[in-house]
Amino acid sequence: MYFRMITSSLIRRRSRMIVALLAVAIGATILSGLVTIYYDIPRQMGQEFRSYGANLILVPSGDDTVLGYDVAERVKTFIAKDDAVGIAPYRYGTIKVNEQPLMAAGTDINEVKRTSPYWFITGQWPEADKEALIGQEVADLIRLSPGSRFTATGTDGGGNSFSRDFVVSGIVQTGGTEEAFIFMSLSDYGDMMGNSGGIDVVECSISASQTALDDIVSQISENIENVTPRLVKRVTESEGSVLSKLQALVYLVTVVVLLLTMICVATTMMAVVTERRKEIGLKKALGAANKSIVMEFLGEGLLLGAFGGLLGVALGFMFAQTVSMNVFSRPISFQSFLIPATLIISVAITGLACLIPVRNATDVDPAIVLRGE
Amino acid sequence: MDLLELRDISKFYGNVKALQNIDLTVKQGEWLAIMGPSGSGKTTMMNIIGCMDKPSNGSVVLEGTDISKENAKNLTNIRRDKIGLIFQQFHLITYLTALENVMAAQYYHSMPDEKEALEALERVGLRDRARHLPSQLSGGEQQRVCIARALINYPMLILADEPTGNLDEMNEGIVLDIFKQLHRDGSTIVVVTHDPEVAEGTQRTVVLEHGRISRITQNENK
Repeated sequence: MYFRMITSSLIRRRSRMIVALLAVAIGATILSGLVTIYYDIPRQMGQEFRSYGANLILVPSGDDTVLGYDVAERVKTFIAKDDAVGIAPYRYGTIKVNEQPLMAAGTDINEVKRTSPYWFITGQWPEADKEALIGQEVADLIRLSPGSRFTATGTDGGGNSFSRDFVVSGIVQTGGTEEAFIFMSLSDYGDMMGNSGGIDVVECSISASQTALDDIVSQISENIENVTPRLVKRVTESEGSVLSKLQALVYLVTVVVLLLTMICVATTMMAVVTERRKEIGLKKALGAANKSIVMEFLGEGLLLGAFGGLLGVALGFMFAQTVSMNVFSRPISFQSFLIPATLIISVAITGLACLIPVRNATDVDPAIVLRGE
Repeated sequence: MDLLELRDISKFYGNVKALQNIDLTVKQGEWLAIMGPSGSGKTTMMNIIGCMDKPSNGSVVLEGTDISKENAKNLTNIRRDKIGLIFQQFHLITYLTALENVMAAQYYHSMPDEKEALEALERVGLRDRARHLPSQLSGGEQQRVCIARALINYPMLILADEPTGNLDEMNEGIVLDIFKQLHRDGSTIVVVTHDPEVAEGTQRTVVLEHGRISRITQNENK
């Protein structure tokens, strides 16, 4: 009979209950939506920050002057798959073009695209063998443009002379030292300079918090010999600072909205309960104990809280998804812990919001029912 | 055997004397009417008999037990176990069907029993309307549901406040017929009414004026 009474009250007093359900659902929506955004900000902003370039550099240490060719692969084992945005190994050497000494860099072009998305390319990235990307300074110096051909000459690691023809696929502008380099694939560089040396430096772009980065650094130091991992402080520290400020802001907004929502839900529930004082008086006149009345209203409140909370979880995710798509242009990840958390908070708030007016209403004099007041 | 005894009952609301020195005895199986003009103290007396209010002075003895000093919780228990209330405004729970309204009284009393609740509705001629909500019932039908609800826990005293006050002549007749049948079955009924026709059907009429019993009339042929 208990469930029959509370479900009848919810179903047959639809218009009233929809108002209360909406109040709970809107509260739960805003809560779960903001918390989803709060937890997803580091990931979203981390992705944004990755466009500022590498945040971890690996250089040789100890007696070695170069890194092994497998260092990039070894480093990947310490980074979560989704966090490794790009890991670009570089080999550097001097070549001559038109008798001008220039710096050549052999690298994994596809990885560079990911580690250095901020590079402004006129023309296109190298896609085939014997294609090179030249810096703006180099282009100005030897008067090359996309599609131009040039011959690189020099001496390889074994002391033998080489001469290789390249096509300029594009010109890179960064406003930095990259503009003085000629970039080509590792295989082209190896064909030219030989493979007797190794990797000079590895640039890593990792989407992770400062703590996670520190953890990766210590793991690399402990597990890979003669490698010094260095965090690019200007990137990682400003990233951490901006992230923590942004999270603090969203946290503050979430708390304020949660408080306002709680007040709104509580007020609505109080109004819904208070307008049923006459019903409470009648039930008391019929001999209902205060406990029975409190349990009935609490049951209704808990059911409302549960339904509103469930609705809020779904709508909150849609809300967070919309915000994320509009602000970050990326889908948001669903936080599964929000299902029980939102449910528990919704149920607790509605339950509490019911209890206070019901407790007051149980003091109602049942005689008012007889008087028809 | 006396079921209810009011001994020198007075009730004051501040300086207002709602009831003064009321002495009244209701016997087991008796059908009694309480009449009087507005403000005469009928409602106050109803509330005290119905365990919804306590007298300022005097004592209320129900089935040999003085209940005038009981606390609110005990009065609720007494009301639940021993008194069936019938209201002028029917006061059905709007979101429960006729059957569920009757079962609600069972639920607060002990255990709901659908079969028994249906039988109670059948007694007032409403078995076929058991699944209807109060809003789907006429005033007369709602009052009959209210009566079925009052009877469901076999109360020792049925207390009715203007039970025909909101009914047309035809429904008034139906409700009075039910009361007559209840009286024949041995129920003790106290009816507060303005309607002389209702009072005429009872065994005894108590008339209140200015909070005092002005006269008690033993009705003929009862």
